[in-house]
Amino acid sequence: MSNIFDLVKRYPWLPSLKKYSYIDSKDDPYEYLLELFSKYPNGEIQERVFKFFRAAFENIEYLSGHKNDDLNIYLYLILRILLYILDNKPISNRIANLYSKITNNELLKEADATVYEICQDLNLKIKYYQPPINYGINISKDQKQILETNFRIHYADYLKLAANLRDEYRKLVNNALSEGYVFIQKRSLIRLIQEYVRRKFLNNEDDEGKSSNKFKKNLLKIQEFKEIYDNILSHWELKKEEFEYNFEISFKKGSNISKDFPPCIKDILLKAEEGQNLTHIERLFITFFLNALDYPEDEIINVFSTMPDFDKKKTEYQINFAKRKGYIPHSCATLKSLNLCMAVKYNDQICLEGYFSKKLDTKKTLAHPLFYIQLKQYRGSKKIKKLED
Amino acid sequence: MSEKNYLKRVFQAYYKEKREEIPIITKLEKREFGFIPWDKEIMNRHICFKFTEDLKQYLINESPKHVYSSGASYLQPDNLDMDKKGYQGCDLIIDIDVDHFYTPCKDVHDTWYCKECGKTGKGIVKKCTKCNSIKTKSLSWICEDCLKIAKNEVFKLINNFLVPDFGIKDKEIKIAFSGHRGYHLKIENKKIRTLLSEERREIADYLTGENISFEILGLRQDRSNILGLLKENIGWSQKIIKKIEEILTTYTNQEIELLLLRYGLNRNIVKSFINSKRDFQQIISNSKQNIWNLEGFGIKTWEKFLFGIVDDIGAEIDGPVTIDIHRLIRYPGSLHGKTGFKTQEINHDELDDFNPLNENNERLDPIVFKSKENIHKLQIIEHDVPETRIKGKKYGPYKKGDIIEVPHHIAVFLLCREVAKLS
Ligand code: SF4
Ligand SMILES: [Zn+2]
Ligand SMILES: [Zn+2]
Repeated sequence: MSNIFDLVKRYPWLPSLKKYSYIDSKDDPYEYLLELFSKYPNGEIQERVFKFFRAAFENIEYLSGHKNDDLNIYLYLILRILLYILDNKPISNRIANLYSKITNNELLKEADATVYEICQDLNLKIKYYQPPINYGINISKDQKQILETNFRIHYADYLKLAANLRDEYRKLVNNALSEGYVFIQKRSLIRLIQEYVRRKFLNNEDDEGKSSNKFKKNLLKIQEFKEIYDNILSHWELKKEEFEYNFEISFKKGSNISKDFPPCIKDILLKAEEGQNLTHIERLFITFFLNALDYPEDEIINVFSTMPDFDKKKTEYQINFAKRKGYIPHSCATLKSLNLCMAVKYNDQICLEGYFSKKLDTKKTLAHPLFYIQLKQYRGSKKIKKLED
Repeated sequence: MSEKNYLKRVFQAYYKEKREEIPIITKLEKREFGFIPWDKEIMNRHICFKFTEDLKQYLINESPKHVYSSGASYLQPDNLDMDKKGYQGCDLIIDIDVDHFYTPCKDVHDTWYCKECGKTGKGIVKKCTKCNSIKTKSLSWICEDCLKIAKNEVFKLINNFLVPDFGIKDKEIKIAFSGHRGYHLKIENKKIRTLLSEERREIADYLTGENISFEILGLRQDRSNILGLLKENIGWSQKIIKKIEEILTTYTNQEIELLLLRYGLNRNIVKSFINSKRDFQQIISNSKQNIWNLEGFGIKTWEKFLFGIVDDIGAEIDGPVTIDIHRLIRYPGSLHGKTGFKTQEINHDELDDFNPLNENNERLDPIVFKSKENIHKLQIIEHDVPETRIKGKKYGPYKKGDIIEVPHHIAVFLLCREVAKLS
């Protein structure tokens, strides 16, 4: 059994954090932050926060030299306060992803009993078995392997964390369920905890923006804090262009977003459908594009499945690789230079003439194929509204 | 007096008389109510009752055609804006209704007629078999066999899924005969109440076997072998193998043939399957191996076979009802405006003997308007009205224009079905 305080240092998102009189997100952390910065006058806090944001902005998966000290707790709290104040979805997502991935890595190093303790602290309904219990067998290549695990998790808790992971392997129907509990491997259980941690960073969004304004002003009176905040913002401005395409429009099961695809994408999809081979660059472009729309992996694989040299494993790998790296689809300028722009061939009005931006009160040319969809969907939603009126 | 006014008065008298017997659901004051009146087919929803007496008085005053309440509870059930209702959780609702799945007897008792050319026929069609017009009107009828099948699905659901897999306790399950062609289950459990739609979809998929992946369960090609599923694997694998074992050991060859043809396998493959029946039985009962090499069976064929099996194992539930956390369901003890029958709550241990169309236990009898004598004269206004068996007696079939004399419960039923008028 590990000491709970020790656990909290490693995993500050645990509910037990409260027991150690660290701030609650509801309290005004002004005094608390003042005290904190005076406790670490040499910029250790700033350094750690920057390092974290930089890694998140660069899409780095893992932070080397991760330390489980007191500062780790402060890092967690400050990150959450910052995200709350920044109130910026893409940034929150990046930080949440990075933080939860690091957590996953750390948790994998823990003993079974510790993972169990963590689950208990999270109030997850878990059954812990020592020695492990059987739930089936796996035979491959004449090798018989007993499936066993130390953990079972109540299906309701399981679903709350797994239902949004959009992963066939995690679908309840494909899992071992009996007496209200899902048999779960430690690795998968940790993946669920990762999801819990990721959401912890995104929860801020529910709060009303108004109350945060005063809160924000107050905190920015602290010199050290303001420095962090400003620095992150300017870094963000630089990165923003790339990020903006990564959200808002996304694939929804059952909805037909493909009718709003730009000519360049339509053309490639058509080729694929006809079973023609795609060039390397076409493949990359379509993968990045569909990834950006959050298309499920199997739908993307489907696109490639008709091609003569289709290789499922390879395709899966490439899609995931692109996803992990967070690649952003090419801009119209790049596509034009690659001869992949199909504006002329399709005689497409939006692509050829651009659109009128109300915000800027001027005509704008189309800069990115993802804008194309946004524009179409925006116009579509207007049309629907009109019909309803 | 119009039929609708007449029925409203009949319902009214019932609610008045049975005021004290109307069941009260849990969290009544936090539920949203909805009613469909007799004069228009529009649901009045966003209604709430602070006290049970208010609900009872409403039923007596308005005597609506249909009465519904939410599976969800809200801080403000009467707020018109869904987002401002203050959602607090929802019971798990499962709907089993023969309207949503095939039963063989429908070919006998469900009828249709074409508004274009006047052709009539039996069963369910998408368009007229004579003139191809889609302007057909279908009449689905109540039937003991259909209701038996629905009841079986309820047992399947409880005994094969809810209790053993989900660990749900008997006392958490509320069963009700809908008053027409099916049953509702309501599961009241603290943890389940917190589940969101997406999470409920996972439960619905588990109960039906939808979106199952045989590849994940172990079906795959390994060089020249096909590897199949294993009985040892808890969950759907086990269910599937047990079902296959049952088929192999208890079905005749002829039954197997019919089954596999229904699954969409071709005759040669069916033959090959029956020929290797014994071998296959050996294979699946042996935990040491899972090589499913049967002549003519590739991965695709196995998938087809397994999808058929899964379909037979899964419960016939109406998925969207389970997933929708704001859905309203028929209120227990209320009268169904399409039949005049009562939505009847039943305990799990009473279900086996329960026969909604001929129930001997007065307390459980959904048919509340009864008379021994033929006290009503009606005229049939629908083209073909199928035979109805209620309380062990046959009524009909009737043709348009028939003048009939029937007891009270049959009159109410036929009027509710809008196939007859007062004569
Ligand atoms: S202008 Fe951009 S979006 Fe339009 S077709 Fe060309 S590349 Fe695609
Ligand atoms: Zn016709
Ligand atoms: Zn029937």
